[in-house]
Parts: sequence; C-alpha cells; structure tokens
Amino acid sequence: MLFDNKQSKFENLVRAYSAELYRYAFWLSRDRFQAEDIVQEAFARAWKSLSSLRDPNAAKSWLYTIVRREHARQYERKRVEIDSSQELDDLADTGGENIYDAMEMREALESLPENYREPLMLQVLGGFNCREIADMIDTSTGAVMTRLSRARLALRKFPGFDRGRKVTAK
Amino acid sequence: MNCFEFRRLIFADPRQVSEAMLRHKEQCADCAQLSRELEGFEAAIREAATAQVPEALAERILLRHQSVRQPKRFGFWFGGWALAASLLIAIAVAFQLDFRPAGEEAKVVTAATLGSNHPAVATIAYVLDNEPQLLKANLSGDMAVLLDSLEKTGLKLPVDRTTIRYLGKCPVPPSGQGDHVVLQTAFGKASLILITDRTFDSTVVVADRSMLALAAPTRSRHGSLILVADSLKTLKRFEAILM
Repeated sequence: MLFDNKQSKFENLVRAYSAELYRYAFWLSRDRFQAEDIVQEAFARAWKSLSSLRDPNAAKSWLYTIVRREHARQYERKRVEIDSSQELDDLADTGGENIYDAMEMREALESLPENYREPLMLQVLGGFNCREIADMIDTSTGAVMTRLSRARLALRKFPGFDRGRKVTAK
Repeated sequence: MNCFEFRRLIFADPRQVSEAMLRHKEQCADCAQLSRELEGFEAAIREAATAQVPEALAERILLRHQSVRQPKRFGFWFGGWALAASLLIAIAVAFQLDFRPAGEEAKVVTAATLGSNHPAVATIAYVLDNEPQLLKANLSGDMAVLLDSLEKTGLKLPVDRTTIRYLGKCPVPPSGQGDHVVLQTAFGKASLILITDRTFDSTVVVADRSMLALAAPTRSRHGSLILVADSLKTLKRFEAILM
C-alpha cells in the first residue's frame, strides 16, 4: 500500500504535484493568483473525492483533470485583463541569454489558440501522451495529434525556433 | 513509413519515437535533421512554459486544507469527537504551558467555551481563513510600525534564523486592531498578533480547528499578544523567545 491513510495520501499528492499543477493552471488562467486559487480549489475537491482514486498511478492525470475542470468552472467565463509585465515576473529565472529566448517562445505560446495550447501544455508540463490527453480533454487521439502538430508548426515560425535549430545543429 | 507519416507523428509527440520512425530516420536525412531540430525546440518550449511556482505553495494548500476540515462538516458525531479532542489538547496544554505572569492562573478552554468573538478564537479563524492569501503578499506592512508596537509592549522579535513572512494589520474583536506578523523559524511557523491598546486581564490558551492560540498580557502589562501555532511545542518556543 503506497499510502497509510487518506490524510497522508492527500499530503503526498499535494507535495508531489502542486508545483506542476500550478504551472498548468498558470497557463490556463495566465494569472498567478488565479492559478493558485485554481490549484487550492482543485485540491479541496480532490480531498472530497479521494476515495474514488483507486489506482495511485492514475493520480496525476486525475489531478490534472480536476484542475482543468476547476479552471473551466471558475474562470473560463470571466477572464481578467492580463498584466504582461506581471507575467514576465512569473517566468522561471533561467538567466543569461536564455531568458530572452524564453520570452520570445512564451509570446509564441501565448499567441496560440487555446485549443492548441492546452494539449501542448499537458504534454510539455505534464508529460502525457496523445491518448492520455485525449481522455483528459474528452476528444479523440487523432484530434489531439492534429492540434499538437499544428501548435508546433505555428511555434516554428517564431525566432526562438531558429535559435533552437542553431543549438542542435552544432 | 514515409516522410509525411514521420512528420505527422513527430510533430504530435517528439518524445514518442517508434521503431518504425527510427528506421525511417536512418534512411531519410531530412527527417533525421528535423528530429534533431525538434529536440532543441522542445527544450525551448518547456523552458518557456515553466512558470515560477510560488514559495511554500504546498504548505499553503495543506494549511487551507486544515481549515476546510471543519468538525461540523462531518456531522454531530464527528463534531463531538473533535470537541473532545480539543478538550484533551487543552488539558494537555494546561499541564505543560507556563505562560503566566507570576501569581496568575492561566485559563485553558475550548473555543466553544469562549465563543467565536473571543480574540484568541477569532484569531485562529482569521489565521486559517486569511493567512494563505495574505502570505502571497509577502512583507507588506510597515516595519517601523511593528518596531514601535514592540517597544510599546516590551516584546522582542527573534533576530537569528527568523523570517518575517508577512507583516500587516488584522482585526481584533470586538473592534480593535493588531499588528499581524507571520514568523518562520527553523522550528516552525507562528502567527503573532500584537495589540498595543488593550491589555488582557489574564492568559488564555485555546485549542480549536487543530490550532492552538495563546492570548496573554505582555509581561510589562502594556498591551497584549496572541500567538497561533499548530503545535504546543512551537507555541512554547515562540513564547520563550518573544517574552
């Protein structure tokens, strides 16, 4: 048995996944305060239905789905104005020239249509494959593959891609 | 596999490279080059997508979780057990704490006995319900005001290995206000409420909602303090370094 009881199981989930769920929620809401609220609420809901989680290996996708639904429930219809200067503060501090690459790539990610960006974030941040993403966003695997392909093709038009190409061509 | 199929698959998920894709890469220089390019490209996407996670996020989630788990939500039966547990904690506190000025008897009670408007009980509720949000703001108050309050009350803040995670004002029932300081040390976190315009008559220790609060007059009898922590040990250590 991985967890001794409900409380320790919950605490393990919070410590294991809160950071990556926050990053996912951040890209859903594009606001750090809303992202934290979403994650807080998602874990509150997770606690209530924790007994339904039979397979510990499914915990990650289960939590991502809760976050996604929580975002839809709370914020999808009341988007706030995004303060772009604040968003720059929320970038991971990669240091040096990379920060500029990340800024350009970030702009590119923001410019993607939401139905392209969301599966991309699930794959990049959550590490899910196309089938898992399809289950989570309730669509077909083929549709997810199409969206992911189009997302990457769109991102290739941005300058960050050129830099990535130079690095890998060395 | 042809180039079209290879590209369809690799753009959908560059990490999932099947044997058929590997064989195609060996035969097609263009697709092999594309595959290499996408490796760096994926790293750039991941880097750009990685937002900075707020400090102590997991701790705030767990703190809020504690506050959400109200006894009344579990009905009368569980509420009764929770009340009994609080009482046991209170009794344990009575035996172990020695916060009292000389000659004064500490009163150890449950929240139900004092009522929700008592400063100690209200402070526990305030800490549990508001602190997770307030902590996001970090140090937001005026340090000069805090220092003035400390001087008035004769208290001292620990200087070594102590972080002030939040500084601000908070309400103190019935209509007062206190300096709200969240202190983090190596041995734990505590919320301190400094009240300069009111001196409690006696020391009270309350156990409620899995937290403990001490409300006491300062030793100088100029003002009062309320300390909230999640364990008796933490409460005792903070009291020892403040007084």
